[in-house]
Amino acid sequence: MTKWMFAGMAAVALAATPGTARAPVTGQTAGNFALTDMSGKTVKLSDYRGKTVVLEWNNPGCPFVQKHYNSGNMQKTQAAARADGVVWLTINSGAPGKQGHMTPAEAQAFVAKAKAQPTDYLLDPKGVVGKGYDAKTTPHMYIVNGAGNLVYQGGIDDKPTADAADIAGARNHVLAALAEIKAGKPVSVAETRPYGCSVKYAS
Amino acid sequence: MQRLLFMFVTALLALLAVPVAAQEIGAGPHVAITLDAETRTPAAGQNVTLAFVSKPNKGWHGYWKNPGDAGVETKLTWTLPEGVTAGALRYPVPERLLIAGLMNYVYAEPFAQLVDLTIPAGLAPGTRLPIKVTMDYLVCTEEVCVPETQDFSTELTVGDGAVSAAKRAAYDGYRRAIPRPLNAGATWSVTDGAFQLVVPFPGGAAAREGYFYPLTNGAIDYAAPQLVSRRGDLLVVETKAAGGKGVSGPVEGVLSLRGAGGFVVTAQQGAAAAMPAGEAEGAGWATALWAFGGAVLGGLLLNIMPCVFPILSLKALSLARAGGTETQARSEALAYTAGVVLVCVALGAVLLGLRAAGASAGWAFQLQDPRVIGLLLLLTIAIALNLAGLFEVATPGVVNRMAAEGSGGAFATGALAAFIATPCTGPFMGAALGAALLLPAAGALAVFAGLGLGLALPFLLLGFVPALRRLLPRPGAWMETFRHLMAVPMFATALALAWVLGRQAGVGGMTLGLAAALLLGCALWWAGRRQARGAERAWLPALPVIALALVTAGLVRQAPAEAKGAEAVAGAEPFSEERLAVLAKEGRPVFAYFTADWCLTCKVNEKAVIETAAVKDALEAKNVAVLVGDWTDGDPALGRFIEQHNRAGVPLYLWYRPGGGAPEVLPQLLTQDMLVRRTRA
Repeated sequence: MTKWMFAGMAAVALAATPGTARAPVTGQTAGNFALTDMSGKTVKLSDYRGKTVVLEWNNPGCPFVQKHYNSGNMQKTQAAARADGVVWLTINSGAPGKQGHMTPAEAQAFVAKAKAQPTDYLLDPKGVVGKGYDAKTTPHMYIVNGAGNLVYQGGIDDKPTADAADIAGARNHVLAALAEIKAGKPVSVAETRPYGCSVKYAS
Repeated sequence: MQRLLFMFVTALLALLAVPVAAQEIGAGPHVAITLDAETRTPAAGQNVTLAFVSKPNKGWHGYWKNPGDAGVETKLTWTLPEGVTAGALRYPVPERLLIAGLMNYVYAEPFAQLVDLTIPAGLAPGTRLPIKVTMDYLVCTEEVCVPETQDFSTELTVGDGAVSAAKRAAYDGYRRAIPRPLNAGATWSVTDGAFQLVVPFPGGAAAREGYFYPLTNGAIDYAAPQLVSRRGDLLVVETKAAGGKGVSGPVEGVLSLRGAGGFVVTAQQGAAAAMPAGEAEGAGWATALWAFGGAVLGGLLLNIMPCVFPILSLKALSLARAGGTETQARSEALAYTAGVVLVCVALGAVLLGLRAAGASAGWAFQLQDPRVIGLLLLLTIAIALNLAGLFEVATPGVVNRMAAEGSGGAFATGALAAFIATPCTGPFMGAALGAALLLPAAGALAVFAGLGLGLALPFLLLGFVPALRRLLPRPGAWMETFRHLMAVPMFATALALAWVLGRQAGVGGMTLGLAAALLLGCALWWAGRRQARGAERAWLPALPVIALALVTAGLVRQAPAEAKGAEAVAGAEPFSEERLAVLAKEGRPVFAYFTADWCLTCKVNEKAVIETAAVKDALEAKNVAVLVGDWTDGDPALGRFIEQHNRAGVPLYLWYRPGGGAPEVLPQLLTQDMLVRRTRA
């Protein structure tokens, strides 16, 4: 009787293991999620099945995000992607009280002021999607292809500095990957080290 | 109306105040950095060391070469005169900062990064060398990050390379913090998402607690806890491999060991070393169940440990005496079990919390600290003296009263029993619990719960099986005798602990520990006599003596590493440059070798070559002077000499022919033949 008790308890204990965040694996299915956007609408990744989706982790207070927004590089990249029918989702996983956290109204104001061109700006204040994708920095970029597989994760380009002058000479990994996807080729550089400020999760 | 106005103004001020507070990061560099040179008059053809002496503002931190999960590397842009070249920036060993599950390798305290400039030969003394450098770096608080740029300039003049004593001392201090190369043939491997780094490290070298700071990105998960353990002449670091495609090729990093220092390790990909039972992440169902079962057994055994026995005997007594209803007995048994399991799980949670906070989990290391052993010794002596009847502890009375209070009392008794049992578990269950900490959180907590369950098991059974209760012997004088008898194994435990203390801290340390035990014994005796007399607050006068005993135990220090056997060669002397010069003048050939306790290759060479009879005789026959430089503690003066001849640190073997001159640098893998041949030359 006690043996079953022990086994049962062990089973319960193990079943209660909280899901440990594991980095999404390149080449495998990207996790689906549902978040509220800056207008209050619920947006799911699966809504865009069939299209290439770019996920951009954002924090307007981070100097590395500012490098790409103030210079117009991020907006140009977004525009180029969307011109090809790519869906661009900017995600903010800043926890309330931390740097970069935005209310829906603040998010709308930011997008308008920066003349940003995402398809939508999603708010993830609990950090669930951020942790699910193991997003570490802002910016941190992910590309999901039409079949729902993750084909790129990493930095936006290969010059990890806060100096906007470095953008011109850098390889924009996102544009390069999108071009390869459009041409039907496999993404040559599928994983790079992201750079930026840490995502301001609650804990 | 006035009140409304007041409220309005207050609200307005509050609104205005908030944004100001949020941007209160202040202007200007958040790290005070000065560029300093070891000498302003370097000699032509030699190196000069420059230091970026940095002091981050309070609350801010700078970053290591590998910043961790977020952050960027410091960049230097030099403007140097013709022919002058700058080496790579050398970083001291960083600290860890884990925020919201993201790991950062940072410097929150003042630190100094070093760079060597090479001055070309042939420059005339007096040549001015203007040095300019721009440093781009990142400095952050836990909330915000600011990338900053600072420009530095200094001017050097070619001269004699003399260094003032003050500067020498300062730079030696900076050099001590820079990790040293450990050429040990380390290997790494990844199995099922678990990363393992195996570093040859002599078993006799002192080292407590460790952490591996990787320089190669993509090898390990920075935020995951690391387990550093030692198996014989190997030091093994186990942690979670990074997600993603991983790395192939060498993995480089800095191994920081408390008590030994920081070492640069380059590991080649190799085969996985045999793992101990119940280890790394990914341990499945089966392992967790085995660990759970083992913990239950361990808990069961704890019941007969003398630590716990006095409490339990009283509990058993009360159960037998209660003679209450079945339900009462059962609910008391359950309450007791709940108390025990809860305290054990709480202990497990505390340890897991420490693990999650980034501390490396490794009980084995804690038990290598002689002060911990000293305190355990005192505890064991105290318990033994209590069992022998020298003094009484008030708690049993409290327990007795609580035991009479039904389920609530039973719960409290259970909690107390678990609390008292845990110091006893230390020495015996240390290894098992250390392994449990490697399991995922739920598995580890299950093991601790199992320990609690095992501890509570006898009373659970007593509560549920009335037949067993009837078997309990009636209380009587035999209980006193039994209690006195239990003092004997307790004293034996104390003896064993004293032996361990002696091995760790030498005879002096053991005597210190025994002196502390003597002080404690006297204090307890005094308290016991006062108790027997019925004096009020019997403990009060004894408390300062007990405190003194604890302090004495805390004074015990680790014994210096065992003397390196008999002196290797007759007449081997410690290395110093003065002695070298004297010997060169005397016209004797000199064999100078540099070694360290943590350098396995050095030890192997010593055993297999230098200390063999053939080589010893050959060296003696030709009157070769032998100088030994021990770099175990990282002495910067020795370090500078070693670096001149071998950037890769130790081992270093130098052969000076008679009459001085530049030495011949022997290969790191020595053979007897190499030395014998040179004696004949």
